[in-house]
Amino acid sequence: MRTVGVTLLGALVLGALLLAATGANPLEAYGAIVTGAFGPDGIQDTLAYAVPVVGMATALAIPLRAGMVNLGGEGQLVLGAISAVAVGLHVPGPFGLVVALVAGTVAGALYAAAAALCEVRLGVPLLVTTLLLSYPAMSLAAYLVRFPMRDAGSSLPQSGQLPPDVRLPAMGSVTVGLFLIVAAVAVYAVVDARTPAGFEARATGWGPRFAQYAGIDRPALTVRLLACSGGLAGLVGAVVVLGFPYRFIDGALITPQYTWIGLLAALLAAASPLGTLVAAVFFAALTSGGFAMERATQVPRELTAVLQAVLIIFLAAATGMLRKKRSPA
Amino acid sequence: MVDAALFSSALGALTPILFAALAGALCQRAGVFNISLEGTMLVGCFAGVAGSWYTGSVWLGVLIATVAGVAYSLVLAVGHVSLGGDAIVLGVAINLLAVGLTSFLIRTVFGTRGTFSDPSLQGLDAVDLPGLKDIPFVGEVLSGHSVLVYLSWLAVVALAVLLYRHPWGLRLRGVGERPDAAASLGVSVTRYRYGVILAGGALCGLAGAQLALGNVTLFSENMTAGRGWIAVVAVMLGRALPYGVLAAAVLFGLAEAFGFRLQGIGLPQQATDAAPYVVTLLALFVSSARIRRRTRERSP
Amino acid sequence: MTQQRPEPPAVELRGIVKRFPGVLANDHVDLSVAGGEIHAVMGENGAGKSTLMSILYGLSQPDAGEIALGGATVSFSSAAQAIGAGIGMVQQGFALFDTLSVTDNVVFGAEPTRRGLLDRRAARTAVAELIERHGLRLRPTDRVGDLPVGVRQQVEILKLLYRRARVLILDEPTAVLTPAETDRLFDVLRGLAADGNTILFVSHKLHEVLAVSDNVTVLRDGRVTMRSATADTDRAALAAAMTGRAVELDKIYPPGTPGDVVLATHELTIRGAGKPVLDGVSLDVRAGEVVGVAGVAGNGQTELVAAIAGLLSADSGAILLHDKEIGALSVRARRAAGIAHVPEDRAEVGSAPGAPLADNLAVGFQRRLARRGFLRPQAIRAHAAAIVERFGVRAATTSAPMRTLSGGNQQKAILGRELTHDAPVLLVEQPTRGVDIGAVVNIHQQLADYRDAGHAVLLVSAELSEIRALSDRVLVMYEGRVVATFTKAAATYEALGLAMAGGTP
Repeated sequence: MRTVGVTLLGALVLGALLLAATGANPLEAYGAIVTGAFGPDGIQDTLAYAVPVVGMATALAIPLRAGMVNLGGEGQLVLGAISAVAVGLHVPGPFGLVVALVAGTVAGALYAAAAALCEVRLGVPLLVTTLLLSYPAMSLAAYLVRFPMRDAGSSLPQSGQLPPDVRLPAMGSVTVGLFLIVAAVAVYAVVDARTPAGFEARATGWGPRFAQYAGIDRPALTVRLLACSGGLAGLVGAVVVLGFPYRFIDGALITPQYTWIGLLAALLAAASPLGTLVAAVFFAALTSGGFAMERATQVPRELTAVLQAVLIIFLAAATGMLRKKRSPA
Repeated sequence: MVDAALFSSALGALTPILFAALAGALCQRAGVFNISLEGTMLVGCFAGVAGSWYTGSVWLGVLIATVAGVAYSLVLAVGHVSLGGDAIVLGVAINLLAVGLTSFLIRTVFGTRGTFSDPSLQGLDAVDLPGLKDIPFVGEVLSGHSVLVYLSWLAVVALAVLLYRHPWGLRLRGVGERPDAAASLGVSVTRYRYGVILAGGALCGLAGAQLALGNVTLFSENMTAGRGWIAVVAVMLGRALPYGVLAAAVLFGLAEAFGFRLQGIGLPQQATDAAPYVVTLLALFVSSARIRRRTRERSP
Repeated sequence: MTQQRPEPPAVELRGIVKRFPGVLANDHVDLSVAGGEIHAVMGENGAGKSTLMSILYGLSQPDAGEIALGGATVSFSSAAQAIGAGIGMVQQGFALFDTLSVTDNVVFGAEPTRRGLLDRRAARTAVAELIERHGLRLRPTDRVGDLPVGVRQQVEILKLLYRRARVLILDEPTAVLTPAETDRLFDVLRGLAADGNTILFVSHKLHEVLAVSDNVTVLRDGRVTMRSATADTDRAALAAAMTGRAVELDKIYPPGTPGDVVLATHELTIRGAGKPVLDGVSLDVRAGEVVGVAGVAGNGQTELVAAIAGLLSADSGAILLHDKEIGALSVRARRAAGIAHVPEDRAEVGSAPGAPLADNLAVGFQRRLARRGFLRPQAIRAHAAAIVERFGVRAATTSAPMRTLSGGNQQKAILGRELTHDAPVLLVEQPTRGVDIGAVVNIHQQLADYRDAGHAVLLVSAELSEIRALSDRVLVMYEGRVVATFTKAAATYEALGLAMAGGTP
């Protein structure tokens, strides 16, 4: 706990130096971040940003628990979103909403499972297959939304808008999709801590040779975990796209960096369910606070991205130092 | 469809990837899993443009890009080698930091968003190699590139010589294979790992310079667009060997160039965007299948 | 009584103190070795001998105390400095690069150069010369990864000679050698000592220390408990100095009463690059019997066990459990069918060192302990507590990480976990490696009791005394084949040693 405090302080000091160098007042800027993230207006924005970040963080934490890195989160996220929109534009009524959510989840799950099968059957490392498959998925969505699924009334690369009854009901600036994501996190927490399946995933994370020796079926586990991971990522995509502005806009899921920030939260928390949630919420608050800070003080919002990265670097270094000190020479 | 211009453009496009992949391969040989190539390259892009802009000289810009790459790679060096931080966490964070930092700087230094370009910004000139350029086809392909393109080929050869013919190369291969054994023979693991990371930083700086001052002459947010990650894949595909990595980068460049040609016959741009990744995946499947067949014949 | 010499000792350590978090590894240790002497440093695991040698070799710095070479005080802040002062060390597990040649390995860190680049020819010549002079059996261009273990040790010694080491430290050098190779090593060492080199021989093997050393220093719990000329002491005294109590040496357990065949292999074969790794191995193990597999590491024993356990797939041959073929079954299915396994590699394969002890003990039982799909932490803790109690595992709490337990307790925990399966077949590899004498007795008794309860035990061990103590029958493996079978009575050190080196009895 003390380490986190010290590294947080270090990152803040570095950020303050950067701010001062560009002529801004550090205290004013930091104050704006905090009120921006948690103030009465800001909290809505923070929540809206937190939902996809928490969702992606948990999605990536699921296989990370077993030591497997899914670098294709963006592709799975986008595939889930475009599938949800495709379904939502053609299947009517509240039934269409449910089917859209399911379609998004399934699309993400299948795509991630395909990458897992590449490792299991063909021996290409997961890190590589998930990463390489991510780009074609994003290209496919970019194509679909410029041609077959294009919005008839505009020249922008976006899909048509979903009809009113195929939308997630809103609650301020979030939708009821929030509950779906929270439920997913809860399910992960329970499965991880209290089921044989979660135990086996954790055991694989401790040591792959140990897990194999103990009879854990690593290939089956890999495919299962990646399917869950991709499925949750796809669900996140579906949830985002079924909320305002109720359409798929090319790049809208990529620019906010949900996936990479989520990955960092999961890595930092060593994929623990609760830790990942806390880290993801913290990063989301920092980012949304940054937007408010820019509005209030003219300091570019990218500063919070810088602060975030610096903080993680300090934390990673500090954790490393602790680990080194514990083991004798 | 398959003409000299195709290969020529492929060559120019693959240079940043090649530099970055050489950086990654060098680090890999010493046992450092360096995935911060994307971020370091982006820093090189910005530093190169800023340097060229402020000094009016593109060569000083290239130098500044290289120095910036080295300086930025200190984060990984200190965080991972000295302090023991996890290389993957640090790599991802360093990449994110680069995006945030360069976006922050383009606002505060150039007062603009998105893209910075200016007609007076000095870029790298195309160089015609005398004699070479007159050879039909081959000359068209090989001549007319920026100096950095030719430098990247020299870098491949230099890396091969270093790894296999120089004592440092032997030592750093030992450090990568068994650091404890190397240390017991008096070879400093720390020093060699710092060395490869910083040298890799310089190479990524050059990659950024070629990208922002060679192919085009501007800086645009996130302009590396995943090339650093492709470099990581090239290192794996090329098994961290200098010529292997070159082959992987060439494969990737060709796939990208072919992709543009496919657009000419009516395929959408998105198909060509996806083509290099699909081709690389297929290449990996084939190469993995061959490796697995070979290892099944050897002892497990 | 230590022999007195008029000139200053070649190596002297005075009052060395070294602390690690939670343990005092070296507690004011004094050590004195004369030139041309072979000096044994003995102690159990954790006694502090490896730490002491690391300090002498510059890999680690003492918290207090001095090192003196030839009477002059020195201090090393790195191995490079120690090497420069003429000290060389061959570590346990060797420090070799498998992908490089013998020459590259030998000159690594001290390469001859010409115009800045490696002078490969000079290196090869220098290495060939050393090989010739000391009568070693290898070629400069051999790839180290392809060499058998005994030869790899020679590469290690070459490294020291190339750097003109005058003080040679060997850490447990005979752990991976056949008795014949051990004798050859001792001849080389005696030759080096006669040349005036000083040799420090770290070991816990009583009969070897008595065979080759001139003087011996014994450490226990970080302190020196005995200094003696080797000629003036015996195994019992050394064992007592190492453990602090009288120890029954060479206990032989009474034989079991074998029943039906439970486990059998027929012509089990695994192909290799040149020679097969497993070459038509056929064996059987009965209920109530311990079959010991002796042999130097690297002759196929590890692969044999891995093939039976399901961690490796065989190219041909059958594995039968209760007369049913299990060769196509997964590891999980084989375990369910009745195979338990204590692996050789405790840290990487047999346990998860960073995870809590309780979780380590629950692995393999996670489905059995679950109720209605849920695995409660209390169930895991209770299961762990039962194993800890029954097998005498000493741990602060069951939530302590596995790595905080001593080697002996870790092994007892792993053995306890596997015995708890009550499987008809137990595969056990190197059960007492890195385990102190007290725990060795406990573990041997557990294995004997398990056999007497009617189970079949396949025991693979590099320790002949262990094989002889527990086995009802002994098989010797050499180059992937079973080359000899012995009854309990016929399994003498001499016969076993001969078979292990490939000779016929």
